[in-house]
Amino acid sequence: MNQPVSMIPDLLQIIPEVLLAGSVCLTLLLGLFVKKNRSVLLAVVAATVFIVAGIYILTSWPHKPEEIFAGTLRVDDFSAFFRVLFLAGGLLTLFISLQKENATEYVILIQAIVLGACLLSMSMHFATVLVSLELVSLCSYILAGFAFNKPSSEGSMKYFLMGTVATACLVYGISLIYGISGTLNFSSSQFVDALMQSKSVMIAVAALLILAALLFKLAAVPFHLWAPDVYQSAPTPVVAFLSVVPKLAGLALLIKIVLAFNLFGRATVDWRMLVAGISIVSILAGNLSALAQTNPKRMLAYSSIAQAGFLLAGVATLDPTGIQAALFYAVVFLLMNLLAFTALHLFEKWKSLPAMADFAGLGRVAFIPAFALTMALVALTGLPPTAGFTAKLFLFSSLWASWSDSGSTIMLILFIAGLLNTVIALYFYLKIPYYLFLKETPPGTASIKISITGNFLLLILVIAVTWLFLNPGLLMGWINRITFVL
Amino acid sequence: MPYLSLLIFIPVAAALATLLIPARYTRAFPWITLGVNMLQLIIFIAMTLHFSSGEGLQFAEQHAWISLSLNTWGELQAEYLVAVDGLSFPLVGLSVLIMLIATISSWNVSRSRKGYFALLLILNGAIIGSFCALDFLLFYVFFEFMLLPMYFLIGIWGGPKREYASIKFFLYTLLGSILILIVMIGLYLSVQSPERANEVVHTFNVLHMQHLENFIPGSWLDATSTGTWRLWAFALLFVGFAIKLPAVPFHTWLPDAHVEAPTAISVILAALLLKIGGYGILRFVYPVFPDGAVYFSDWVAGIGVVSIIYGALNALASKDLKRLIAYSSVSHMGFVLLGIASATTEGVAGAIYQMVSHGIISAMLFLIAGVLYDRTHDRLIENYSGLASHMKHYTAFVLIAFFASLGLPGFAGFIGEVLIFFGAFQSHSYNNLVPLWMPVVATLGLLLGAAYYLWTIQRMFFGTFAVRASYAELNDLTAREYAMLLPLAVAALLFGILPQLLLDFINPFAETFTGTWFSLGINTNP
Repeated sequence: MNQPVSMIPDLLQIIPEVLLAGSVCLTLLLGLFVKKNRSVLLAVVAATVFIVAGIYILTSWPHKPEEIFAGTLRVDDFSAFFRVLFLAGGLLTLFISLQKENATEYVILIQAIVLGACLLSMSMHFATVLVSLELVSLCSYILAGFAFNKPSSEGSMKYFLMGTVATACLVYGISLIYGISGTLNFSSSQFVDALMQSKSVMIAVAALLILAALLFKLAAVPFHLWAPDVYQSAPTPVVAFLSVVPKLAGLALLIKIVLAFNLFGRATVDWRMLVAGISIVSILAGNLSALAQTNPKRMLAYSSIAQAGFLLAGVATLDPTGIQAALFYAVVFLLMNLLAFTALHLFEKWKSLPAMADFAGLGRVAFIPAFALTMALVALTGLPPTAGFTAKLFLFSSLWASWSDSGSTIMLILFIAGLLNTVIALYFYLKIPYYLFLKETPPGTASIKISITGNFLLLILVIAVTWLFLNPGLLMGWINRITFVL
Repeated sequence: MPYLSLLIFIPVAAALATLLIPARYTRAFPWITLGVNMLQLIIFIAMTLHFSSGEGLQFAEQHAWISLSLNTWGELQAEYLVAVDGLSFPLVGLSVLIMLIATISSWNVSRSRKGYFALLLILNGAIIGSFCALDFLLFYVFFEFMLLPMYFLIGIWGGPKREYASIKFFLYTLLGSILILIVMIGLYLSVQSPERANEVVHTFNVLHMQHLENFIPGSWLDATSTGTWRLWAFALLFVGFAIKLPAVPFHTWLPDAHVEAPTAISVILAALLLKIGGYGILRFVYPVFPDGAVYFSDWVAGIGVVSIIYGALNALASKDLKRLIAYSSVSHMGFVLLGIASATTEGVAGAIYQMVSHGIISAMLFLIAGVLYDRTHDRLIENYSGLASHMKHYTAFVLIAFFASLGLPGFAGFIGEVLIFFGAFQSHSYNNLVPLWMPVVATLGLLLGAAYYLWTIQRMFFGTFAVRASYAELNDLTAREYAMLLPLAVAALLFGILPQLLLDFINPFAETFTGTWFSLGINTNP
């Protein structure tokens, strides 16, 4: 095993994570001294760390794939891509939630989840997978209860109970795999060879158990049941964060695991069929359930289940084009989901809006948040002029290409089912703009004071979502250079 | 001069500028919009002077837009490619005219004028953009871009059932555009650009899609492949545009949307948005899938005939004046399908002519309905009689519009319908695409058209004066109403008496359109 001395060069490879871990400790200490009304300072420190870490990763792009810490982690473009996404997600979340109560704990939890997600995206070894996944999960459970009221605790508890089962599945799956292959490193040739030689049904069982844990993180059917309650009851900025960072962390790992277990197409399980099936069911279940919702956050919860289905659709192709489309989709998803929740949060700061009908006529009193929310929902539907359309275009193109190449009917079904679902999705996504603009303002509605910084953040995100529509080439060009070696 | 880009983006830029003006300057917004319309009119007149008919695509502008690698799948290439030819140029002109009239008609909109005129300007750019785009992705973006402004324009400023109507409109049209999107993705992945011979460049360029040799051998939509995928693609694409047209049985969104929309928006819907359906069939469906067009020719013509008869029967039964006009649109757009299905020069030219003439006449019809609604807030035909005695000028315009719409010789509608019938009857002996009984049955539609219009005139305008609706004053036309009706009446007459004015543009296109079919050897009975 490694000598302590040789850890220094490895640590240098993950300076951003070291910074994050240091910042978690620093926040803990600062929390003791900083007064309650100065708690913004904590967020500023954390935000600075996010920015510095992000810039560090971006400047060292492109990465030569390099295994560190005895092959448990790997620094490459794929993980760098996701790490930047997670840092951006954390940064934007801090922007919208400079709260005073429990600020220390809040900032620490956010940083810890980002740290866990970053490590997860680099993991090549089931041990680091388990540790970093648990770091993300445990902190998420606490964050979900951060409204400190009964529904929030209930949501947190549900999340925790189901999450524990998911973790148990993961551990059980890992133990089976270790029994079969004798290694926990799923990128090693030993792992691939052992799985190829073994004809045991246990491989499929183990793979499915591990997959279950990841689907739980993604909130994909059939492990999505926690999402509506958590989304509805947790504070909106927390939901914004949870709907993006842990989900995409799950996606990052899922891509690696699926590619590993696919064994270059020689696996006994038909992964294409499996992932595509989950994708179709998630899209359908998410959209159909969303139709009936009246609470905006619950509606967005079901929407994010459907979006998980779309993210999975790219993975289902099992080829680089599809996965690149999924990565593009991930960026756009992060932007549009954060945009939607930020706008929602700004409205909620003014008054609580438990039903979509409460948005009646608010478009006239607060145009910019209403406009931004509409743009976010249009993007989630997948209509121009937003990047949501571009992302769907790339995604469905890759599905067609995959169908053309492989001739597997499931890809065609996914292609058509996904596109037709856009029409269903439009119906519920349009509900909020419908109330915002089409309904009359109820008499006695005071004008809303939305902070300038809030409006500014919204406009930045709107511009980002439109800019990626007008000029997707730049981002896609970067994604194109990511290789998916195992 | 980038004429087309100016036409498309001046209104979009003006819409953005409008947003910066505080909402309290309510009088500025219609003036800005009118200024944009005037500017567009000037640009269009300048283009007319430079347009040489018979030269195919002109005023082309081509810029790279999206270009990225698809790994093993080669490269994706979407361009900003706009140009006009004999098909799109008259429709662009129609758009410029109608948007101008729509602005005048919206002059007195009372609530949130800033939002209204900003959306109107965005809609303006999107409509002209869809007529000019020759890159499928660009077209699709403009096409979708129309939906959101339209949804809000109907939903916020519409009639009592506006919310239902607007969401129905949006869902139906989106379903149509999803069908188009499905085929679009399949198409661009099956087509490679001939510009770079050694590389596989998947292009959205419609002109490349129209050449069968650009299809990648072995791809799903390759013309030489034996499967039925190309027929499926034709059917999906056709239905996608038929929803927009609308053709029976995909028409049910139209009466609701038309009736609930404010007058100016009804005008735009009928005069321009429906045309995008017909335009799409002529620009995308038929040239890209000529084999499907032959295979489904009797279906296309049949749907046309059913639309003609069914639309006319519904119009006959309508009690609401606006609903009557809406159904008459369904009937008239059926003629367009019949003309296209014949795939003869006369039929295709007639279809385009019919689109332009219907654009002018239906705009007039909806304005007329709006004039009455403004005064009484009632559109039920049975509540009026003897209007001619109190509103002489109004009645004169009503008579012009009704007679023009029922296809009286001397008006634009007649030319289009006659050409379509020439084509449809000829098709039987010429290429055998349209069975002879179909145009025979379609003539019944003319008869029904005369019936519902003449009956309406008799009920509403003749007899003793009586109005069963509360109204302040039943004045005759104001100067503003004159300003919007007169140009349309003149145009309807002008294109009825001097059809060469339009046919000079349309005919060369129709000839090349059918000519390419000959060269493909599609003609079954030469």
